[in-house]
Amino acid sequence: MEVNGQLALTVLMGLFLVAVAAWLARVENWRSYTPVAGGGAFGQKDSYGSEEKPSGVIRWLTTVDHKDIGILYGAYGLIAFAVGGLMVVVMRIELIDPGMSLISNTFYNSLLTSHGITMLFLFGTPIIAAFSNYLVPLLIGADDMAFPRINAIAFWLLPPAALLIWAGFFPLPDVIPAQTAWTMYTPLSTGAGAGNQANAGVDLMLLGLHLSGVSATMGAINFIATIFTERGDDVSWANLDIFSWTILTQSGLILFAFPLLGSAIVMLLFDRNFGTAFFSGEGGAILWQHLFWFFGHPEVYILVLPPMGIVSYVIPRFSGRRLFGFKFVVYSTLAIGVLSFGVWAHHMFATGMDPRLRASFMAVSLAIAIPSAVKTFNWITTMWNGRVRLTTPMLFSVGFVSNFIIGGVTGVFLASIPVDLVLHDTYYVVGHFHYVVMGAIAFAGFSGLYYWFPLYTGRMYQKTLGKAHFWLSMIGTNITFFAMILLGYGGMPRRYATFLPQFATLHQLATVGALLLLVGQIIFVWNFVQSWLEGPEIEDGDPWNLRQSGLYTAEWDWFDQKQQTAIADGGDPDDETALTDGGHVDEPADDRSDA
Amino acid sequence: MANKIFDRDTLLDLTVNVVPLFIIAFFVVAFAVLSPFGIDPLASSIQFGLLAVPFVLLAILTYFAGRAVAGSEQSGEVYLPGQAGVRGAKPLEEDHGPAAIDPESTDDAPEVEGDGEDDADGDAEDDADGDAEDDADGDAEDDADTKDA
Ligand code: HEM
Ligand SMILES: [Cu+2]
Repeated sequence: MEVNGQLALTVLMGLFLVAVAAWLARVENWRSYTPVAGGGAFGQKDSYGSEEKPSGVIRWLTTVDHKDIGILYGAYGLIAFAVGGLMVVVMRIELIDPGMSLISNTFYNSLLTSHGITMLFLFGTPIIAAFSNYLVPLLIGADDMAFPRINAIAFWLLPPAALLIWAGFFPLPDVIPAQTAWTMYTPLSTGAGAGNQANAGVDLMLLGLHLSGVSATMGAINFIATIFTERGDDVSWANLDIFSWTILTQSGLILFAFPLLGSAIVMLLFDRNFGTAFFSGEGGAILWQHLFWFFGHPEVYILVLPPMGIVSYVIPRFSGRRLFGFKFVVYSTLAIGVLSFGVWAHHMFATGMDPRLRASFMAVSLAIAIPSAVKTFNWITTMWNGRVRLTTPMLFSVGFVSNFIIGGVTGVFLASIPVDLVLHDTYYVVGHFHYVVMGAIAFAGFSGLYYWFPLYTGRMYQKTLGKAHFWLSMIGTNITFFAMILLGYGGMPRRYATFLPQFATLHQLATVGALLLLVGQIIFVWNFVQSWLEGPEIEDGDPWNLRQSGLYTAEWDWFDQKQQTAIADGGDPDDETALTDGGHVDEPADDRSDA
Repeated sequence: MANKIFDRDTLLDLTVNVVPLFIIAFFVVAFAVLSPFGIDPLASSIQFGLLAVPFVLLAILTYFAGRAVAGSEQSGEVYLPGQAGVRGAKPLEEDHGPAAIDPESTDDAPEVEGDGEDDADGDAEDDADGDAEDDADGDAEDDADTKDA
């Protein structure tokens, strides 16, 4: 009886999917997506930029303009940053004292899991996409992304992904949050054993993660296509700016890494729900770790390369000189891209794998430190003897360099097998990667948010608040995460809701640092929102005085032109005039019905 | 034979990736000579595969990237990165175009191997002095600009 019911449901679902496919095939002229096969010279060029945008919410729901989508990504990323940040504040308060019982241990584990996933997948990747969507087309002289609608779809997959990932926290009957940590190690995450991880909350989280991966992959394909095919006539490979280079490399990494994560997640879901035994049989746990880290290590570079691009872009503008060794930075970015796929098992040194393999992973991990170090030296040399202007974006970029050095050096230590065997799974590791993800990646994000603030808001932020934000973040980061490094040396294991009394002082320090960070971010939110609404309007297209030092770039030129045309009316200035692309030869052969 | 694309300058730029290649090569040799954990057909071939694959892929990518960048440097105007789209932007002073045209070798597919290192012939030298990234000494040093925000 039951089996029949399920069968019927399955058949029904199948029919439904077929119906959806049929409907999609009818409703949309798929030909129009392939300009080569479709006959007519159809590009996105004449159809999007010049259209009048609807007003209000509808505009944001329907937009395919890369700049609007960039802002959507940015808003999304910052909301996720707030959620993930508040989660960790609760955790840090719980860790003020070993006996603290603000939250239960299981809830601590839930917060830990969600904090990691939220920050990496819902804040990190989207905030980078915010910059790349807004800026890459402007920087390379394209009218928009190569596939504007895929761009919009990629973004709109993210809100449901967040709802799924956070589903366990919502008051749904019988659904509890995942407690697998972001690495989702099996057998815990297969739901095996007497724990509670067979719960549907874990399935929903996995589905959400999968969805965010689909989104990232769609975005990556779009960027690769855009940067390869939509560059303006003058923007040859030799003229491509550093940020676009890092986005191109990042997109390549996403393209190879995220589908693998997707497959592994599907296998895990099958193990959990359909009785397969990919990860529960012998060697299953190791298989998961290999699959996960083959994605996971490239993922950390997916997150760090574009921020490196932002910093490489910002530092020269406020040092009054060109980026030192521009091509070194480009080639080392590419090197990191390739090598990041050859180091994954440095996360698994302690698993007892064959020492020969382990040695090879160590060798490549040491090799990948070189391109990272090269960049660091380039940033420092760029500032050396330059006329440094310590504006807020510059401060955040310098902070990036400083924190990245600590994060990188601790990483190189971890890459050495004997050191790792001592420090693995301690707070040292937590300190290491937070120096990079918070101290560097988030800092670069703020650097970019401040640097381009006039560009996307037309206004200027309040500089005193910006600097307060910086200093609180810088000091908070270093207190929190240096304390963690010391905790790790002391042997404090990671992922615990409590600790032995001897670790109390350092844990309290870390909590104080986290609270400083919280205050800093509150100031940021205030500054950001208030300045966006009421900040002084920017009148000229060169708010940073870049023309003087000959470092003016294409996105500001676009902005300048927008400023000039915007005087005429209150509406959106026509982007068509923004960049003299020269590449517009398309006849208006738009045979599509409006879509 | 003169190498049009991989001139001395480009090779110099690419050294940044030669260093990690060298480190990997070093370990290949070290593991082969010392083999501290013995040789086992399966484990050892994976061991060397894990080094060889990134090595080869990095070498290939470096080659193609270098060719794309240096090639477009010679075939078109070179601007400061990010400035090509700026209205009225001027290309960087040195003209890569004519200087790089070498009458002797027009049909050769560019190759980096073999003839690269010793290829310091005159015409490559000409444009070796003023790349965007080389003269990083602040040309805007004197016009003071302390605008802050
Ligand atoms: C300079 C190059 C780097 C090296 C050699 C390096 C090395 C390592 C090693 C060996 C581990 C494993 C430690 C352990 O669990 O025992 C590790 C962990 C980690 N690293 Fe790095 N790292 C580097 C850069 C980065 C960067 C740039 C990021 C972030 C963007 C990053 C993020 C992480 C994360 C998230 C973990 C912890 C994963 C986990 O267990 O949850 N690392 N790193
Ligand atoms: Cu790693």
